[in-house]
Amino acid sequence: METTLQVLNDLERAGVVSRYAIGGAMGAMFYVEPVLTFDLDVFVVLPQAGGGLLTLAPLYEALRARGYHEEKECVNIEGVPVQFLPAYNALLEEALAEARETRYEATTTRVLRAEHLLAIALQTGRDKDRERVRLLREQASLDQKYLAAVLARHGLAL
Amino acid sequence: MKPMGALRPEVARLLAAKEDRRRTLAGLPYPDKVRAVVRLQRMVAPVLRARGRQVRVWNIKETP
Repeated sequence: METTLQVLNDLERAGVVSRYAIGGAMGAMFYVEPVLTFDLDVFVVLPQAGGGLLTLAPLYEALRARGYHEEKECVNIEGVPVQFLPAYNALLEEALAEARETRYEATTTRVLRAEHLLAIALQTGRDKDRERVRLLREQASLDQKYLAAVLARHGLAL
Repeated sequence: MKPMGALRPEVARLLAAKEDRRRTLAGLPYPDKVRAVVRLQRMVAPVLRARGRQVRVWNIKETP
């Protein structure tokens, strides 16, 4: 896992992605108990491509050049299937901009704030997202004022 | 559903202990949680594969 994060940091340093942060179940796990998941969701801000197109193609190409290959919707990076998700709406853009730097053993990484993870789960709204909302409300130390502002800005309600 | 007060005391104790354990797990350092996820993957993968779902257990080196 640490080497996976080092590869992500390398991609950011090389400008392949402008910014990344861990989200999804593995992101939530920074704040709540471990839950079963088989992939690592990584939200990315991509450098603007020609015509304003959001495409993961240059990212996949850079990963292939480093020896990491796609497997269905993920890329296997050092034994971890990583699913890259571009910031496709205002909530995700804000979540990435305000993601927190943290450490995984000796490696610096970035994770979405618990309040944004909760808002994203509310917005996505599948069964597993509703369960994530419940877990975050129960176990994470949420900044309620900050959360209320995020939810209001993006038209969401608990 | 019956309110918690209606539970037999030993059952209430068991449920409270379960909640305590979940809070303890939530407070673990992140690398420990990652190790727990991989253990969960190893336990669940054979069941999911038997149901026809293709899953891959993470192949990562972690210090114990």
